[in-house]
Amino acid sequence: MADKILKEIIDRYPRERRYALAVMQDMQRHYSYIPREGLELLAGHVGCKVAELYSMATFYKALSLKPRGKHIIKLCNGTACHIRGSVNLINGINRELGIAPGETTEDGEFTLELVNCLGSCALAPVMVVDETYYGKMTLEKLPSILGEYRKEAK
Amino acid sequence: MIITIDGKACECEKGEFLLQVAKRNGIDIPTLCHHDGLPGQAACRVCLVEVKDGGRSQVTASCVFPVDHEIEVSTNSRKVKEERGMVLALLRMRAPGSEVIANMCEAYGAPKIGRLKPVVDGDKCILCGLCKRACASLGNGAIETLMRGTQKYVGTPYDQPSADCIGCGSCAEVCPTGAIEMKDEKGVRTIWGSEFRLVYCRECGKLIGTEEYMKAAGNTDDLCDDC
Ligand code: SF4
Ligand code: FES
Repeated sequence: MADKILKEIIDRYPRERRYALAVMQDMQRHYSYIPREGLELLAGHVGCKVAELYSMATFYKALSLKPRGKHIIKLCNGTACHIRGSVNLINGINRELGIAPGETTEDGEFTLELVNCLGSCALAPVMVVDETYYGKMTLEKLPSILGEYRKEAK
Repeated sequence: MIITIDGKACECEKGEFLLQVAKRNGIDIPTLCHHDGLPGQAACRVCLVEVKDGGRSQVTASCVFPVDHEIEVSTNSRKVKEERGMVLALLRMRAPGSEVIANMCEAYGAPKIGRLKPVVDGDKCILCGLCKRACASLGNGAIETLMRGTQKYVGTPYDQPSADCIGCGSCAEVCPTGAIEMKDEKGVRTIWGSEFRLVYCRECGKLIGTEEYMKAAGNTDDLCDDC
């Protein structure tokens, strides 16, 4: 039951406000988002208000309140990547997967996120899938890279 | 200790904030995010003044500037007018729907900045955070600043009625720009998407608060402070 797992995650940490972020990161990792129930249980555990945690959850990009895909595609749209055509890649991914930035595919496999700099401008335009960096991205490379993750899913 | 503000000698204690001293001496400094009950906000920067100290001068927020030795203060120097004007002009872009800010812009000569567009048309909130601090300081913590950057706003979790809200209306009360909608109608208060039954003093009929507020305040006899 979701409830039990949530409790387990929460109980790993002392009942102090300063652990709230760590707990939310664990929930994010486990569920690919932070369930509402999780926020409410956590507020009770560390003794703060739901609004405070909700504020944090909406502040950090790494946390999400809606379920995210199994694979997270981070597409850089920082200055260097933008100039080198990241917008084309956004369109390309949209054609391949049918999702716009911030959206998740219906099968729950992929989520596309735009980020503002990945600190590797020399490789622009950069795309990161889960933990793997793909530099000097082109539209041509897209299908095969995404295909790999699709295969993995099957 | 004596400091001068706009040429006037003003008595003050060490550690007092400039704004406090000015107010006590009848000197007008505009403010938005300052509230005596919730000091230290310093978010709006409308209260800028110029502090001259020896050979140096700085423009600074008077609401959080503690006086610790003799200084010379100007609330209307060219520098202050310029910087305060720009602050107000930017706030007007942030909160184009606020009459308070529009009036301040008029009164303090804010320049028009044509190349900027309002963040959200009709918005009144300057995101000072006073409302959420008021809410938290009362132990309710029902509202918070959500999201960040240009998408930042004040709201309840999931934009839904919050079980932590007691309808006290403190947020609407402290808000400098009237950005929080609260409606009292036919004995019912509507705020943050919730409805609360209002309670009136059984002696004089004055509005005391909502039922939930009464419970939180431990008021069981339905009498107002005066009765
Ligand atoms: S609603 Fe009012 S008090 Fe709250 S942040 Fe906005 S301007 Fe400040
Ligand atoms: S009143 Fe001083 S910064 Fe807002």
